[in-house]
Amino acid sequence: MTHTHLTGHRGATTAVLAVGGGGLAVATWIGGDHVLAIGLTAFYAVAAVAAYLWSGRDSDVGAIMRVGGDERQQRLDHDATALAGLAMGTVALIGAIVSAARNHGDIGGYGLICFVGGVTYAASLLILKRRT
Amino acid sequence: MKNRVGEMRTASGLSQGDLAALLGVSRQTINSIENGRYLPSLPLALAIARNFHHCVEEIFIVDQES
Repeated sequence: MTHTHLTGHRGATTAVLAVGGGGLAVATWIGGDHVLAIGLTAFYAVAAVAAYLWSGRDSDVGAIMRVGGDERQQRLDHDATALAGLAMGTVALIGAIVSAARNHGDIGGYGLICFVGGVTYAASLLILKRRT
Repeated sequence: MKNRVGEMRTASGLSQGDLAALLGVSRQTINSIENGRYLPSLPLALAIARNFHHCVEEIFIVDQES
């Protein structure tokens, strides 16, 4: 007996790519770089189709892309998200330090990312610890 | 932690996909549990035990060496 019941929404990751990529392409077009905007549109269109096809697979990655995984797949997603956040935080912190050194103490956009990340982490801890 | 999930599943004549469907999880998760790569949550461990009509302790065994 074969079971290929797929949970979640197959278009979840596709929608994120389409909306995010579309927004980026529109902003680039408005910014004046039409060639890059067309390139971004093509890139994200291909990525969105690939994501839709991959989301239909009976695999861990497919389930995570559908946002419909079981407890182990959700844990994989959480762990990967945490590692990605750690990498982004590290890059933002290094960027803020370099920016401060180069711009007379101005930490710029990197500093904002560090601030949002730090505040979100602290607020999340306060809220989540009450649940457990 | 060792477990007898694979042994009991085979004895029941179920495939990994069959057991996964019965428990509402993926086939990959059953495979990971059987190979000792993933330790299931308490609710899932209880569901596995109930499915085989055994106690949790009879299926999931604490490895003394670890």
